[in-house]
Amino acid sequence: MGLFGKKKVNGGTAGGQDSRQTALLGPKLAIKGKVSGSGNLILMGKLEGEFDLDGELVIAPPALVDGEVKALTLNVSGTVSGNLTARDKIRLEKSARVQGRLIAPRLSVDDGCVFNGEIEMKPPPTVPGKAAAGSRSK
Amino acid sequence: MSKRVDAGATSLVSKEVLIEGEVAGEENLHVDGRVTGVIRLAGDLFVGAGGSVEAEIDARNVVVQGTLAGKVIARQQFEVRPTGRFSGECTAASIEIREGAVFEGTSKMIGPAAAKIPGPPAPSGAASAEKTVK
Repeated sequence: MGLFGKKKVNGGTAGGQDSRQTALLGPKLAIKGKVSGSGNLILMGKLEGEFDLDGELVIAPPALVDGEVKALTLNVSGTVSGNLTARDKIRLEKSARVQGRLIAPRLSVDDGCVFNGEIEMKPPPTVPGKAAAGSRSK
Repeated sequence: MSKRVDAGATSLVSKEVLIEGEVAGEENLHVDGRVTGVIRLAGDLFVGAGGSVEAEIDARNVVVQGTLAGKVIARQQFEVRPTGRFSGECTAASIEIREGAVFEGTSKMIGPAAAKIPGPPAPSGAASAEKTVK
């Protein structure tokens, strides 16, 4: 029980966000319903339902998602069937298997991933200053 | 954390995360955020100090440091820590309520602990209590 008393401190993946904890839904967990909130989250289990996160969502193997997923940033290396929407960017890694629709202003799809579906790229929602200028100058 | 059941891993629902629905699996779950619905675990449920859970629960050990409401079955132990608040129905093999904790509702014992209670031949040797420790 010792482990329960201690809080894990986020190692800094939050990138600027005040040291929030990264939520983890492990490989042996199955969720049916809706997950929402903010902060970063790593999903390795099964999700049937809806995801709406104001933060970075990592869908890592052996994750299995069936439903609607929305996040600020989406990093997928697991299996998803459904629509993926990111307000910032989506990255499909080599081991990703996605069936559905990708909606994001920025997108990267790695060699080797499996993607069946549509892509919709919306211009970034008025990001003030540097961030927008930086990505445009490429 | 490696007890008999292979529920070694602990999942974390952090402070600003809300899950509505059913969470099930062979893991331990630590909730610092909010979960409403149903939780079924082969492992333990830990409700952290800021955590809030409103659910029907079936887990091995249940430890409450935050707020928990609902119907709970703890196959081993149910524990409410000093900062914890529980309201509802609890069924456990063993129970611990620390001083300062709030417990509103009923408690029912199962398993070997219940068998030891002498007295009224209640159907399952149930001990029902309604108390608030402050």
